[in-house]
Amino acid sequence: MSTEKAAVIADSPDPDKAIFGKSTSDFLILAITAVTMLVLDVVLSIAYYRSATAPDLRWLLALIDIVVVLTAYGALGGRVNRTLLSMKLALTLLFVILILAVLGTIIPQGETVLTSNWPKNPLYGLYTHAGLFDMYRSRWFLALLYLLGFNLSFCIFDRLPTAMRRALRPRTDVKELFIRKCPASAVLDGAGERGFEISKEILSGHRYHLRKGPPDMAMAEKGRWSGLASICFHLSFLFIGLGAIIAGTLGFSERLEVPDGMTAPIPHTDLRVTNHQFKMDTEPVKEGGRVVGYRPSLYSSDLELFQNGQSLESKTITVNDPMGYSSSNLLVTLLISNKVILHQSSYYRSPSGGYVSVLEATYKPGKSLVYVGFGLMMAGVCGIYFPHRRIWLKKGDSGELIMGGRSHRSKVTFQNEFERIVAELRLTLGKQEAK
Amino acid sequence: MDLVKVEEILFIATVISYLVSGGFYIWYLITRSEKSLRVGTMLLFLGLMAHTLALILRWVSSGHAPMANLYESLSLFSWGIVLFFLIAQRFYPVQAAGALVVPTAFLVTSVAGVFYVGPEPLVPALQSYWLWIHVTIAMLSYGLFALAFGAGFFYVVQEYLLKKNYRNVQYAFVLLLSVLGLVLGLWGGSKLANPAKVMDPVTQIASNVYAASDYLMIAGGGVAGLVIGLALGILAGKGASKPGFAKRLPSLDVLDEVSYRGVAFGFPLLTIGIITGAIWADQAWGTWWSWDPKETWSLITWLFYGGYLHTRLTMGWRGRHSAVIAVIGLVMVLITYLGVNLFLTGLHSYTPAG
Repeated sequence: MSTEKAAVIADSPDPDKAIFGKSTSDFLILAITAVTMLVLDVVLSIAYYRSATAPDLRWLLALIDIVVVLTAYGALGGRVNRTLLSMKLALTLLFVILILAVLGTIIPQGETVLTSNWPKNPLYGLYTHAGLFDMYRSRWFLALLYLLGFNLSFCIFDRLPTAMRRALRPRTDVKELFIRKCPASAVLDGAGERGFEISKEILSGHRYHLRKGPPDMAMAEKGRWSGLASICFHLSFLFIGLGAIIAGTLGFSERLEVPDGMTAPIPHTDLRVTNHQFKMDTEPVKEGGRVVGYRPSLYSSDLELFQNGQSLESKTITVNDPMGYSSSNLLVTLLISNKVILHQSSYYRSPSGGYVSVLEATYKPGKSLVYVGFGLMMAGVCGIYFPHRRIWLKKGDSGELIMGGRSHRSKVTFQNEFERIVAELRLTLGKQEAK
Repeated sequence: MDLVKVEEILFIATVISYLVSGGFYIWYLITRSEKSLRVGTMLLFLGLMAHTLALILRWVSSGHAPMANLYESLSLFSWGIVLFFLIAQRFYPVQAAGALVVPTAFLVTSVAGVFYVGPEPLVPALQSYWLWIHVTIAMLSYGLFALAFGAGFFYVVQEYLLKKNYRNVQYAFVLLLSVLGLVLGLWGGSKLANPAKVMDPVTQIASNVYAASDYLMIAGGGVAGLVIGLALGILAGKGASKPGFAKRLPSLDVLDEVSYRGVAFGFPLLTIGIITGAIWADQAWGTWWSWDPKETWSLITWLFYGGYLHTRLTMGWRGRHSAVIAVIGLVMVLITYLGVNLFLTGLHSYTPAG
């Protein structure tokens, strides 16, 4: 028995060997990679923190940090594959990120910290450097997100083949013992050929799809895409993350203040925007039936966009109705979202009279990836409603019918459905018997 | 008489009828008196009618769907709770749950009353069709998580009842009601301590704005709330600690499944709620995510329920473990829905701009 087991283990592929084996050369490769990445990390960090004009590269540094940690972990004998595939790591990371995110909502973030009492704290400088007041963009927070991303990718690609197989190649040929050991199972004595056919009809009635198998067997299933839906859902994170990195690195978001009738250049582009007219409707603010003041009910800006003195487009924008411009055709714009968008952000009254319209000019390449991610996520999350349910039927040697079923989700509901099907089958068989 | 006055009167009538109806439902749970149930249902139905009218009047006088401020949002939420419950009671034997649901609806409606403001037109930032899509979906998900909480809590209670572990039944009720009392008390205390800045006490504590006397007031409110909660918890625990009570609760399997269903339907809705919010923010502000407290807390809630689903679907946790996670989950939901607006500052504050 033990030798048999050993042989089985030797035959099955070792999960640890899938990418990083445990040979000396593997260790060497890992060690060299770790050291190289570490040097790169340190050099880049020094360059980044010394330069006052460098763009925000914390995402890149965080990424390298994680690669260093993972390769060093592998070189020191850690099982990188197994660790990255573990659900425990995912849940731990989720929990840690959750706690940090909570802290970030309590500790003032960004500019609000300046109006708080935190600057009076003797350790304020240290905290600032540690990114306590810019947590969600800090290097270590991003590093944790990347680690979760790696974890997620490994899990996705580990499960993809199984999910594909399950969806595309139903297991129609299983052993009798397998059916008997299903979480929901029943044996109908003396059902025979007739019972076999009737049960297939009943299963179709319950919207199960019958799959062809050996003549003495049948398999019925529903929700077979459910496993892939889960993959879709998890894949969406990678799309959203990638899109966010691209948008954050190549894109921009600039505040423009354009007084009535004036023109302002849009930074990073050769575009100029003219604010022909800022309009505002107001409504009275009443307190106890008395008008105590007015507040804006709607404000808008008449904008016109120019390139090299040529008018490109014009539109009246409001907060929820921005204006977008792209130099390419619709398809390209949809694909790479190379659109400059002007949002009506707010306004103020200039000291010299008249209104100054505050616009937000944004350019977010990678947005299409984020939206694809949103789509995948919504599609994938709905898969939770359609668990993959499978029922196997087999004609026994002495005329009995063996039924077994399993569902990978909502097991109680499935159990009930299974029992209803069996009861229906018994009733129909009984009725036919009586005839 | 103008619409606003009528709406106010209808709203007060709603609160009173929910309160009285809740009393009848509790009486029904204790005595099983059919008459009590009939009176309770009738009162609840009348309350719902008044509530519906109040909401319609609010819609007419403000010119938009009633979901723009905390009063409207909470009022709509409790309206949804009562409506769903009455429909459920019509088709399923869930009358006993009324002893929990109707007082909850009363509590939510009266908290809405605390935040009463007159009808106001929408501020420019909210003038979008995304408002009702985003808000409706988010509130539906909150409601489903509340359902998961209720079933999860009674799962724990039922399990202890079946094991005849009445001490833990007591503890469960005491813990639940005293925490509720403590939070309500702390919040009430902060409202008394610094009424001008009541909207964000946590931000103010983190920024060190309160004076010592303010802290005293907040702590006093907390203690008072805690004591009331403890007393109610002991009372409720005593009431539930009877062998007969286990028979009035659904079976463990059903409670487990209902709790799971709540999360399984709430999670996709929360996902879609967050995504619609992101799309709206992208359209209005040019950024789909700005780590605003409401956004962050919705993400926290989402991650938390994501954790629930993973422990359940991949690691096979069920029963008490899942029930406890579903119970804690509602804390996250409440912080996302109310806590962020009441205790922190951010883009989603329900206060009108300006």
